Amino acid sequence: MFEWLEDSAIAVWVGESLYGYPFMLALHAVGLSIVVGIFAMRDLRLLGFFSGISYESIDDLRKVGWAGFGVNAVSGFSLFTSQATIFVESTPFLSKISMIFLAAICAAIIQNRMRDEAAAWDESGTAAVGSVRVIAAISLMLWLGAIISGRLVAYL
Amino acid sequence: MENFVQAIEGSAVNEWIMGSYWAWPAMEVMHFIGLSLLLGALLVIDLRLAGFFRKINIAAIHKLLPWAFAGFGINLTTGILFVIGDPFRYTANIGFWWKIGLLGVAGLNALWFWWKINPVMQSWEPHADTPALAKVIAWVSLGSWFGVLILGRLIPYIGTG
Repeated sequence: MFEWLEDSAIAVWVGESLYGYPFMLALHAVGLSIVVGIFAMRDLRLLGFFSGISYESIDDLRKVGWAGFGVNAVSGFSLFTSQATIFVESTPFLSKISMIFLAAICAAIIQNRMRDEAAAWDESGTAAVGSVRVIAAISLMLWLGAIISGRLVAYL
Repeated sequence: MENFVQAIEGSAVNEWIMGSYWAWPAMEVMHFIGLSLLLGALLVIDLRLAGFFRKINIAAIHKLLPWAFAGFGINLTTGILFVIGDPFRYTANIGFWWKIGLLGVAGLNALWFWWKINPVMQSWEPHADTPALAKVIAWVSLGSWFGVLILGRLIPYIGTG
């Protein structure tokens, strides 16, 4: 299956054309800065930083974060196809994908909790409840881990 | 430029970076963490400055600035170490110089923000639209910083002069 993927039209364009690979890499860096940047800012807010910004208002940015996630799903998949058989056996790559999967689950849990509870935290002026703060901290660690293992794909 | 490269090649820091197996990937990881902090904080600030997401209290948005500075500090440090580590590769690369030029634009725009917007921003209506000048500065900021990011990622692929 991964060999078939490597022979697909998108894989050949990304892997062999002059601009395909660098174009997708640049797009992947842009998407990374958006998805990790936005979700990290939301996580930091939940952990108690920049307290003048309401929880509800920072949660409004989730669509921007998911847009970055989408950009990287597409650019990441096309980069993957160009060397699918190598990536699929790379430990750092597999750990990166696992961490991104878990970070996406954290983001979904956080936004569900915020949809129901953020207005109340803002109104009472209290901190986000402990369980959400724990998920925010885990989310930050997962994004950090995804960046570290993503970089190591090129080295290990 | 040749003298500059020669002065760096063989210096203690240069030899440490080149001689260590882990220094380069560790610096790259830090550079990616720094860019996520810088662009994450700037996205929140600039999107609000551009007039979007008005639920965000613009009078409090300056509280994100330390995170942008922290990200920039990490990337300035690791960026200088990259150049010290492999000076010829960077100074001979046209993509690197375009990136530095665009960093200049981003820096001047940040100074403009610092003088014209930041001192008055804290007394603005928290959820109102923003003045035209703020919008211009926000778009120049987003355009130049994402340009810096893209050029940086393309350095290995752009002609080496």
